Amino acid sequence: MAELNDIALVTQVAVFHNKRAFDQLVRKYQSPVRRFFLNQTLGDEQLSDDLAQDTFIKAYVNITKFKGLSSFSTWLMRIAYNVFYDDVRARKQTEDVDTSISALRQTSSNGDSNLKMDIYAALALLKPDERTCITLQLIDGYPIEQISKITGIPDNTVKSHLRRGKEKMTIYLKQNGYDR
Amino acid sequence: MTDKDNIILEDFFKQAAQQQIEDNGFTERVMQNLPKTNTVRRLSRLWSLFCILVGAGLFFAFGGWQVLQGLFFGGLRMLLGWIEVFALTAPTTEININLWFVLLLVGFVLVVLPYQTYRKLSATL
Repeated sequence: MAELNDIALVTQVAVFHNKRAFDQLVRKYQSPVRRFFLNQTLGDEQLSDDLAQDTFIKAYVNITKFKGLSSFSTWLMRIAYNVFYDDVRARKQTEDVDTSISALRQTSSNGDSNLKMDIYAALALLKPDERTCITLQLIDGYPIEQISKITGIPDNTVKSHLRRGKEKMTIYLKQNGYDR
Repeated sequence: MTDKDNIILEDFFKQAAQQQIEDNGFTERVMQNLPKTNTVRRLSRLWSLFCILVGAGLFFAFGGWQVLQGLFFGGLRMLLGWIEVFALTAPTTEININLWFVLLLVGFVLVVLPYQTYRKLSATL
């Protein structure tokens, strides 16, 4: 039902350039998209919001390319993934993006619990692809097949990333007393 | 990975999974930054639509449909005539058909084309 509603909204945006319909889509998906970026950037709110905004603008410009073969959320997350890796590539030319410590420092202080900081610290131990797969499965709740569609990584490679990522995370959590 | 390890991980991420980020003006910012709809392109589309409708109206008003029907049935009669002539005068000698060529063609149509189409559709989601 929700997917049909999404398709109706997308149709209105694509055919009639109905900005109100797009406004509804942004309101509905801003939280998962911004959360995805927060997890990838290890809590950098400013960067996450900029990338999320870029994602929605790209979705608006390319909305006629949405064929409805997957759900709108999967299509949107694929754009988000591409936006993130475009940014990673652009930054790599000037600085090391995976400087997790600097990213953690940029995390705003309002309402961030210690657990949240621990999550970002734990995610910082992972390689970017492992982090993406882990967060898409354990935080956003996507199955392996969907993660593969979003990232364009084959199923078996996604499984490998998940296994390695989970092993690293478990070791970190046990070292920090989460197994008690 | 043991079951216990999985439980530790799920517990650890439970709060993050339930986290809902407040909009706090994000949607307004996105809507303000959307590219403006191209008015010229929009007017051009409306003009094209108008021309198509007027053309279709004139086509029916001046009997264009009857002309098309005449052309269609005339062409059909001509085609049937050709088939009839061919059937009466066709050579009776056998035509050699290369089986491998036929198999290759059938394989291409049944396997390669659907596979390529599937790949293209998968790539665009």
